[in-house]
Amino acid sequence: MSMRSPVGLASLLVCLHLQACTSGEPEAPAAVAIVYNCAANADEIRALEAEIPEFAARTGIRIILNPFTGQEKLYAMIAAGQAPDIFYTNTVIRDRFAAEGRLLDLREVARGDSFPERLLPGILQEGTSPDGGWYSLSNWSFTCGVYFDRKAFAEAGLRVPDSSWRWEDLRHMARSLTVDPDADGTPERYGIYIPAHFVEALELMNGAEIDRGALCARISDASAEVYQKYLALMDEKFMPDLRRMQALGMQPMQMLQTGRVAMLVEAVPHQGLFESVDVDLGIAPLPRFDGHTPRYFRSGSGGLSISSATKHPREAWQALKWIVGGASIYQPNPVLTDQDFVEGWEARYPRLLGSGFRSVWELSLRHPGGDPRFFVRFSSWTAPAILERLQPRLDQLWSRQISVAALRKALPEINQNVGRALRDALAQETLRPAFRAMIEQRLEEAEGGACD
Amino acid sequence: MTHPTRSRPALQHLARTVILYGLLVAFSALFLVPVLWMISASLQDQQGVFASPYAWIPASPRWDNYATVTTIFPFWRYLANTLLITLSVTAATLLSCSLVAYGFARLRFPGRDVLFALCLSTMMLPGQVTMIPLYVMFARLGWVDTFLPLIVPALFGTPFYIFLLRQFFLTIPQEYDEAALLDGASHLRIYWSIVMPLARPALATVALFTFVGAWNDFFGPLVYINSPQNATLTLGLNMLKAQITGTGLVEWQVLMAGALLVMLPNVAVFLLSQKHFVKGLAVGGLRG
Repeated sequence: MSMRSPVGLASLLVCLHLQACTSGEPEAPAAVAIVYNCAANADEIRALEAEIPEFAARTGIRIILNPFTGQEKLYAMIAAGQAPDIFYTNTVIRDRFAAEGRLLDLREVARGDSFPERLLPGILQEGTSPDGGWYSLSNWSFTCGVYFDRKAFAEAGLRVPDSSWRWEDLRHMARSLTVDPDADGTPERYGIYIPAHFVEALELMNGAEIDRGALCARISDASAEVYQKYLALMDEKFMPDLRRMQALGMQPMQMLQTGRVAMLVEAVPHQGLFESVDVDLGIAPLPRFDGHTPRYFRSGSGGLSISSATKHPREAWQALKWIVGGASIYQPNPVLTDQDFVEGWEARYPRLLGSGFRSVWELSLRHPGGDPRFFVRFSSWTAPAILERLQPRLDQLWSRQISVAALRKALPEINQNVGRALRDALAQETLRPAFRAMIEQRLEEAEGGACD
Repeated sequence: MTHPTRSRPALQHLARTVILYGLLVAFSALFLVPVLWMISASLQDQQGVFASPYAWIPASPRWDNYATVTTIFPFWRYLANTLLITLSVTAATLLSCSLVAYGFARLRFPGRDVLFALCLSTMMLPGQVTMIPLYVMFARLGWVDTFLPLIVPALFGTPFYIFLLRQFFLTIPQEYDEAALLDGASHLRIYWSIVMPLARPALATVALFTFVGAWNDFFGPLVYINSPQNATLTLGLNMLKAQITGTGLVEWQVLMAGALLVMLPNVAVFLLSQKHFVKGLAVGGLRG
C-alpha cells in the first residue's frame, strides 16, 4: 500500500503511537502493590515519592500514588472494579460507601494492633459509621481560633484576648478595632471577619447539640441566636459584608495580611497563614457564650478508607498506618497522641512560640466539641437533599434578604425533600441491613412528625 | 487651488467609523482585562496579588515565578506528554473526520442522511453520561493510565467536525470528482489528492479547535491518567492549586505564571492559523 494513501498514513500513525502511548516504563515487580489516592499536590507527591522506596524495602509493600481530587474519577474506578486500595472519604460519602459495602471495616485489620491506641479518641469516633464499623482513619485534625494583629491591638490600647473572653468582649474589641476615618460606612479596617462556614463552630460554642444520627434539618434556638449575633456584626459594620468579600475574591487570610481586618477566624493550624501573613500574629480560642461550657471545634476532616475490594487488606492497613504516622509530609500528625504536635509546628514556624497557638490547641483537646459539620446537614444520605434547599436560604440570610424566622419556617419543606431522599435510599438493594434499619427508623420518626 | 471640503455623508461615515472602532476597542479592552491581570499577577509576589490599590506593573517583577512553575512539578515531562497527546489527537481527528465527512458529502448510499442525523445526534449526549461506561470499557482493555483512552476515540470522528467538514466539502464542485473518476481515480484518491488540498481552510479550523481542546483538556487526563509521570500540563496546573489537607495555600502568582506558560502554545497556534481559521469558519458556516 502506498504511504501516500490515507489508510497507510493512519496505520502508520496508530502503529507509531500505540507503543509510545502505553508509556509503560516497566515497573520492577514487588511483593505487594498498594494504590494510594493521594491529594493532587506537587509537594505532597514529591515528598511521598522520596520516601516510598525506603518503606518498600522495609516492608515489601510498594505504594503506588494515584493523585486526583474529585469524586467523578473515584466513582468510575469503583464501577470498573479498580478502586484504589486507599482513598479519601469525607463525612458525606463515607457512610454511603460503607452502607454499600465498598469500604473495609478497619477493625478487621487492626485487631491486635496497638496503633489505634495512639489515636485521639475523637478520631476513632469520627471514623465510625452508624453500624458501628470503623471505616476511615483521619490523617489530619484541626481546630479553629481567632487570629489577630497584635500591633492593631496595641494601637487601640486593647489587651489581647485569651481563653476567658466572651462573645461580648469580641464585639467590643471588634468595635474598637474598626477604623472608619471618613465615616462613610465603609471602614478602612474592620474589627473582625468570620467566614460563614465557621458559624457552625459558634453554634457549637453556644450550646447547639450535634446529633450525628439525625437525618432531618433542624435549627435550634442556640443556632438561631448565633445567626442573629453574626448578622449584628455586619449590621454594626464591625465585620465586612459577606457579599463584599465574595466580590473582592480575596482569601480571608489576605484580609488580615492587607490590614483590612484586625481579627480573623480561621483553621488552626493553617500552614498558608503561617507562611504568608507577615503581621505580628496572635491566636486566641473562639470566645465563649455566657452560660455555656466551652466546646471547641475539633475536626478529623474526613479520612482515609481502605477499599473492601482490596486484594491485600493487611498490607493496605500497613500502608495506611505509614501514611498517617510515618510519612514525613504529614508529621507531626495531630491525630496521634504520642507526638508533641505543637512543639513540632513551633519548631517549623518559630513565630508560633508565644502566639497563643499552644493554648488554642490544648484547649481544643481538653474541651473537644467535635465537628459541627456533623450537624445533620452533612449526613451521608440527606446532605444533598438538605443543602440544595438550605444553602441558598442561608446565603439569603447572610445577605439579609430573609430573616432567621423565615429560614426556620422553610424547614418543613426542606424536610419533605429529606423524606424523599430517604425513601430513594431505601430503594437501593445494595444497602446493608444495619444502615437500612437505621434509615427506616429515621424515616418512620420523620413521618411521625419528629422533623417538624 | 481649492481645498476639497468633506461632504456631509463622508463626515457621517467617518463619525460612524470612529464610534464603531471606539466601541470595538472598548470591548476588546474589557475582554483583555482578565488576561492583563493574569500577566500582571504572574509577576507579583504573594502579597502583591491582592494588594490594594493594585499595582498593575509591579515595582520589582518576579520573573522567577516562571522558573518556579518548572520546578514545582515535572513541567517538561508534562509538556512532552501533552504535546504527544495533542498532536496525536489532532492528526487522528483530521483524518477520521475528513474521511467520514467525505462519505457524507460525496458518496450516495441508502440511509446516508439518516446516518448523518444519527451522527449529529450524538452531540446531544453529555460527556458525564458516557464517562463511567467508557471508563469501564477502557479499564477492561487495560488502557487506563496510558494515553490511549485520550487518543484512540479521536480515530472514530467527532460529530461537530464531521458536520463542519461535510459542509465545506459540499462547496467543492462535483465536476472535479467526475473528471478524476473518468481518469480512473478511486474515491480514496479523490479524497486525498483533490478534496483535501482544496479543504485546507476547513481543515485548519478543525485542527485549531482540536488542538486547543486537547491541549486544555483537564477532565480526560484526570479520569484516565493515574501515575504522576503520565500527567499532562493541565493536571500539573491543578497540582499547583490543590494543597495539603486543611492548610490551603494557593500561590496565585505561580499559578498565573503556569497558566500563562500553558496558554502560550494555544495563542501561537491561533496566530499562525488565523487566516485559514477565519476563512474556514466563514465558508463552512455560510454555504452548504
